Amino acid sequence: MSRRFSRFDKHRLADLIVLLLLAGFVAIYCLDAVRASRDILNLILVLPVTVIVLALCLAQFVKNVRRPRSSVAERDAVKDILPVAGLFAAYVVSLRWLGFDAGTCLFIAIFLWWHGERRWPWLVGYSLGFAFALALFFSRMLPYPMPMLVLDTT
Amino acid sequence: MIDSSSFYSALTMLFSDPTLWLIVLPGLVIGLVFGAVPGLQISTAMAIFLPMTLYMDFMHAMLFLTAIFTGGGFGGSIPAILMNIPGTSSAIATAFDGYPMSRKGEHNIALGVALAASCIGVIVGYSILFLLINPISEAVLKIGPAEMTMVILWGITLIGSLSSGSLLKGVISGLVGLLIGTIGFSEAGVTRGTFGSSYLLDGVAVIPAMIGMFAASELFRLVKTDYLVEDSAARKVSLRQILAGFRKALRYPWILLRGSLIGVFVGAVPGVGSSVANLVSYMVTKRGAREPESFGRGNPGGVIASEAANSTSEAGSMATLLALGIPGGGATAVMLAAFAMHNITGGPQFIREETDVVYAIIIANFGQAFLLIGLGLALIPLLAHVIKVPMTYLVPSVLAMATFGAFGLTGDLSGPITMLVFALVGWVFKRFGYSVPAAVIGILLGGMAEDSLIYSYQISGGQWSYLLERPVALGILGLLIASLFGRKLVTLLTRKAVV
Repeated sequence: MSRRFSRFDKHRLADLIVLLLLAGFVAIYCLDAVRASRDILNLILVLPVTVIVLALCLAQFVKNVRRPRSSVAERDAVKDILPVAGLFAAYVVSLRWLGFDAGTCLFIAIFLWWHGERRWPWLVGYSLGFAFALALFFSRMLPYPMPMLVLDTT
Repeated sequence: MIDSSSFYSALTMLFSDPTLWLIVLPGLVIGLVFGAVPGLQISTAMAIFLPMTLYMDFMHAMLFLTAIFTGGGFGGSIPAILMNIPGTSSAIATAFDGYPMSRKGEHNIALGVALAASCIGVIVGYSILFLLINPISEAVLKIGPAEMTMVILWGITLIGSLSSGSLLKGVISGLVGLLIGTIGFSEAGVTRGTFGSSYLLDGVAVIPAMIGMFAASELFRLVKTDYLVEDSAARKVSLRQILAGFRKALRYPWILLRGSLIGVFVGAVPGVGSSVANLVSYMVTKRGAREPESFGRGNPGGVIASEAANSTSEAGSMATLLALGIPGGGATAVMLAAFAMHNITGGPQFIREETDVVYAIIIANFGQAFLLIGLGLALIPLLAHVIKVPMTYLVPSVLAMATFGAFGLTGDLSGPITMLVFALVGWVFKRFGYSVPAAVIGILLGGMAEDSLIYSYQISGGQWSYLLERPVALGILGLLIASLFGRKLVTLLTRKAVV
């Protein structure tokens, strides 16, 4: 079974899924645009470009199917990326509640701890210092208020 | 062509008052800092410091603002080279080769090359402006929406076809980017592709998307490495190497000159400016190179092409501002506000009646370029130390900084969220061999392409024959087709000839 579903097949399946996602995205977007208005000004670019992209996706699909089995490129391991991407996503999503000061401090501290930093003065000092310096700089430079937990930006 | 009495009057104006030059240095530093921090745009810096110019006379105000403009032009290249984050959209192409140079341990050379190309670009650009301000502004008026549409489509297909992977995937990436760039309100007054999100009404925030696709996705991949430059011996910061890089740029006079010319003329087109100029220059340089496959892997020619074009586009946008009173982008719009604050109106009359002031602004920019060399050489060694920071510290710090920057660009959390989404998209694109640069350029130009197409349609009344009356647009269409099928056609023809 494992021989039949080789690394090549997995790669080809992943390629196909990405291609389908891209084709699906442009098709849904185009349908949404058509649903919003059939006015030529609304579709003048979206419709022809969608048609071209779908045709190119089809051509790429055929190319993938015909690809020789030897052509398997090395790819990054998903398991290396997912935890970092997950932590970053949690940081961005939590900014609304934690604010840029506390959220950034927590994000950096967790990241450092996770990647092996065990020296407490460094871990706490760097996270606090960097996060609050950055928050202070941007809150003074930007003309609109930033969500903060501790710092006052009014 | 040159009014000598106005020229001498300009020199007297500039050198009789030393305070004029004292104001240039802080302007350059402000520009460098704002350009180097992702999320802080040059136009933002100019807008923040615009009220200060109320207390200055017109020449002081112009020198201060153009110094911010000049400093910012180079500042954007620093994070592009060291961290793959273009500080401004005009430094996108700088990251293509600047960052791979850094990863190879050639960060000092890359920064030196960028500094030289920027400074020489400013000098060449303003020299062209000095000689040809009137013809440039007249030529700009002849570029219509049809030509703009063709330029944009050509640019996207070219960058797609030149990407290192497959041609098909490159073009798909560019066109998907183009569609993403049109999300939001359309000219027909309806919203598309927002999927109910109010954040997307104004479209996808381009710069946060760009930071996400280029930088954040790359940082995800770098987590497993110890340092940006793996070889510890190559990790040193050396002024000698920076100077060597500076000299190296001089060995590419043709790329410098071509980039400068592209920068002036593309930069002069209102609404286009340096964001497009650096890409066009990069693409033309790569296409004409003996080893195009070396681009994107740390070829200094790529950095020179991009930096020469983005710094000269400043002169181009100044041409339209001074000669026509039309701002080419955000930065020149702020400058137009400074004009208004001093009761001055740009345009042909301004050039005719205040020629000495125009010359003084141009000559002052030559001086700014030389000051930037000194300032750059003093500051680059400090900034280049980022290469010595372990990735454990660099990755979260840069991600956090980029998040702040993304917020700064939109004023709400849509910026950071856009960056996050596009970081994931960028990672998927890289992993599956789709072109990230082509997609980013598509997003950047999507709205502009649609607007140009609509204007062409409205002007032509929907008649395709209108295109036949636009030889420039037809020529670009020919280039577009050649960039897509040219190589295959040549191969096919030569094969037949051999048979």
